[in-house]
Amino acid sequence: MSSNALNQENQIENNAQGTNEFDQPLKGTSLYKDAWRRLKKNKMAIAGLIVVIIYSMLSILAPILPIYSYKDQFMDHIHLPPSFTTTAGEQMLERKMVEISILAAKDGRVEWTEEDLLLIDTAIEEAREKFTSASSEEGENLTRKEKDAIADAERTITRERRDIAIEEGRVILSEEEKQQIEDLKLRIASQTEIIDGKEIMIHERKYLFGTDYLGRDMLARTIWGGQMSIAIGLIGGITSVLIGLFFGAIAGYVGGKTDYIIMRVVDIMYSMPYMMLVIILMALFGRSIVLMFVALSLVSWLTVARVVRGQIISLKNSEYVEAAKSMGASSGRIIFRHLVPNTFGIIIVYTTLRVPVFIQMEAFLSFLGLGISAPYASWGSLIGDAVEGMNAYPWRLFFPAIAMTIFLFAMNFLGDGLRDAFDPQSKNKL
Amino acid sequence: MTKYIIRRLIGLIPTLFIVVTISFFLVRIAPGGPFDAERQPPEQVKKNIEAKFHLDEPIPIQYLRYMGDILRGDLGPSFRYQDHDVNYYIANSLPNSLLLGFISLGMALILGIIAGIISALKQNTCMDYTSMAIAIIGITVPLFVIGPVLMYFFALKWSILPTSGWITGRYGWVTILMPAFTLALRPFATIARLSRASMLEMLRSDFIRTAQAKGLKDSVIIRKHVLKGSLLPVVSYLGPAFASIVTGSVVVEQIFRVPGLGRFFVQSAINRDYTLIMGTVIVYSVILILMNFFVDIIYSFLDPRITYK
Repeated sequence: MSSNALNQENQIENNAQGTNEFDQPLKGTSLYKDAWRRLKKNKMAIAGLIVVIIYSMLSILAPILPIYSYKDQFMDHIHLPPSFTTTAGEQMLERKMVEISILAAKDGRVEWTEEDLLLIDTAIEEAREKFTSASSEEGENLTRKEKDAIADAERTITRERRDIAIEEGRVILSEEEKQQIEDLKLRIASQTEIIDGKEIMIHERKYLFGTDYLGRDMLARTIWGGQMSIAIGLIGGITSVLIGLFFGAIAGYVGGKTDYIIMRVVDIMYSMPYMMLVIILMALFGRSIVLMFVALSLVSWLTVARVVRGQIISLKNSEYVEAAKSMGASSGRIIFRHLVPNTFGIIIVYTTLRVPVFIQMEAFLSFLGLGISAPYASWGSLIGDAVEGMNAYPWRLFFPAIAMTIFLFAMNFLGDGLRDAFDPQSKNKL
Repeated sequence: MTKYIIRRLIGLIPTLFIVVTISFFLVRIAPGGPFDAERQPPEQVKKNIEAKFHLDEPIPIQYLRYMGDILRGDLGPSFRYQDHDVNYYIANSLPNSLLLGFISLGMALILGIIAGIISALKQNTCMDYTSMAIAIIGITVPLFVIGPVLMYFFALKWSILPTSGWITGRYGWVTILMPAFTLALRPFATIARLSRASMLEMLRSDFIRTAQAKGLKDSVIIRKHVLKGSLLPVVSYLGPAFASIVTGSVVVEQIFRVPGLGRFFVQSAINRDYTLIMGTVIVYSVILILMNFFVDIIYSFLDPRITYK
C-alpha cells in the first residue's frame, strides 16, 4: 500500500516535470483519447465507422456523383432489370422482341422443327394411351373428363415447345411486326433528351440497379434516398438528444418538484402508444418533413432524459460543483458549463445509437406511405413502393433494403463500440 | 400487496385519460374532416350529416359527449363505414391482432430464453456465435425489410408458405407463421441478448460458487438459482416488447394482409374517420397500459427486493 502511495506521489512530482520514472515525456490522456484508443481495438466498430464514412461521403457527394437524376422519368425505361453490361436500349429491344414473339407464337406462327413435331406427337400418344386404357376399349367412347385430360396434355407440350421456339428465335414475324422492331431500333439509336442543357443519347444508359415503375434510376434513388434517410437520422437523433439533455439535466440538477413533474411526464409518455400518435399526426396534418421531425423528436427524447438525469444526479454533489457554487455561479451555468460537458461521453454514445432508431422510425412511416413523398425518396419509401411488385421486380426491393441494412449494421456496431470505449464498465449492454 | 395492486390500477387512469384527450384534440384540430369528399354534397345535406354526428357543436361539448360515451363503453358510430359502429369493427379485428401478438410474444420468449441460456452456458462456442449473430440481425434489420424478404423467398420463390391470408382462410394455420416470425424476431433478439448477459453475470456471482461448493448438481444450480435470478431483466423487458409488437403489427398486418386492428388503424387515419381512429388508439393504449401493469405486478412478485408500500 505504502509503495503504491509513494508511486503516486512520484508520479505527481514527475507530472510537474513532464516525465515519468523512466524519463519518458508524459502525455496527458483525455477521455476522448482514451476512448479512441479503446475504439481502435474494436475491429467491428472500426469497420462500422468506415462504412458510415463511405455512406456519408456518397450522400454528401450525391449531387456531383456521375449518376443519373433521381427524378427524371422515362416511360420507355419502366422496370428495366439491373445490368452492368447491357444498355437500356438493348434491354428495351429484347423486351419488345419477346413481346412480339409471344404474340406471333400464340397466333400459331412458329417454325416447328422435326424434333418438336415428334415430341408433341409422342406426348399426345402417351396421354391417349394413359387415359384410354383405364376405362374402355381403344378409341371408343372416351368420357369428357378423359378428352379434357388429353387436350390438356397436348396444350402443355405445345406450350413447352413453343417457349423453346421463341427462345431460339424460330418465329415467323409479319411485315408489320418487323417494321415495329426496325422503328424501335432506329428510335433507340437516334432519340436524344436534353438534360441539364446537354443532349444525351437516352437509350445508351446503363442501369446498374435497374429502374422503378416510372423509369427512374434505382441507383440514383438509392443514393439520394440514403442521403434523405441519413440526414433525417442525424438531425432527428441530435434534436432528440438535445431535448432529452435539456430536460434530463434540469430534472437531475434542480430535483424536488421539478424533477417529479418532468419524470412523471416521461413516465406517462413511456406508456403511451406513441408511434400510433405519430401515425395519426402524419396522416392528419399532411406529409411534411418538418412535421415528421417534430413528431418523432417529441416522442424520442425520453430515454436520453432518464439517462442524463441519472448522470447529473451522481455528479451534482462533486467538489467542482461545490466550488463553482461557492464562487457564485448560477444554476444554468453549473448545469450547462460544468455538468453537461461531463456527460458528453454518454451523449455521443446515445446520439450514435439514436440515429439508426430514427432512420428506422422514418422508414416505418414512409413504408406506410406517411413519410417522405414523391419526388423525394428515402430508403423506407423505396422499400414500401417495392413491396407491391416484388415478385416481378425484386431488384426494387433488394437494393434499398440491402443499402439500408448495411448502414444500420454499421451504425449499430459503431454505437456499441463507442459505448464500450466510453464506458467500459457498462452494465446495460443491450 | 392488494393495496399496491389497487394503487397501481388507479394510477393507470390518468395515463389513459391523457392519451384519450391528446388524441381527441389532435384529431379535431387537424385540417380537413371526414366528409370532405372530392364531390361536395349540397349545403343542407352536409349540415344534416354534421348534426347527426354532433359535429356542429362546439368542441368542448363534443369532448364531454365523447368522454361520456367512452365511460359507457360506446365508441360511437364510424364516420366512414355506415353498416356498423366502431365497437363492431374493433370486436371483429382485435382478436386476430391479439392472437398474432401473443403467438409472436410466446415465440420470442421461449426461443429467446432458450437461445440466451444455451449461449451463456456454452459461451464462445459455435452455438453462442450463431444465436448472437441471429440476435444482431433481429435488432438491426427493420421488420418491414424482413417481412417482404421472407415473403419473397418462402412464398413467391419456393412456394412453401402462402403469401398472405389468415387462419380462417383456406390455408389455415400456416398463414400465421410468417407474420408471427417477422414480429417475433426483434423481441426474440433482445430477450436472447438480455438473458445471455444476465445469465453470465449470475454464473459468476458468489452464491452460485457457494452452491457449487456445497456440491449441488449443475442442473439444479441452473434451474433453481441461476435461471430465477437471470430472468428478472427479461420480465422487465416484457412491457417494451409488447409495445414493439403492437407497433410492428401495424406494418406486419399491412404486409401479410392480416385482418387485424393495425390495418383498420392506418386506414382510418388516412380516411379521417374520427371515431374509428379514437377507438383504435384507445384500444391500443389500454392493451399497452395493462401489459405494463401486469409486468410490474409479476416483477414485484418475483423480485424480493421490491417492497409494495
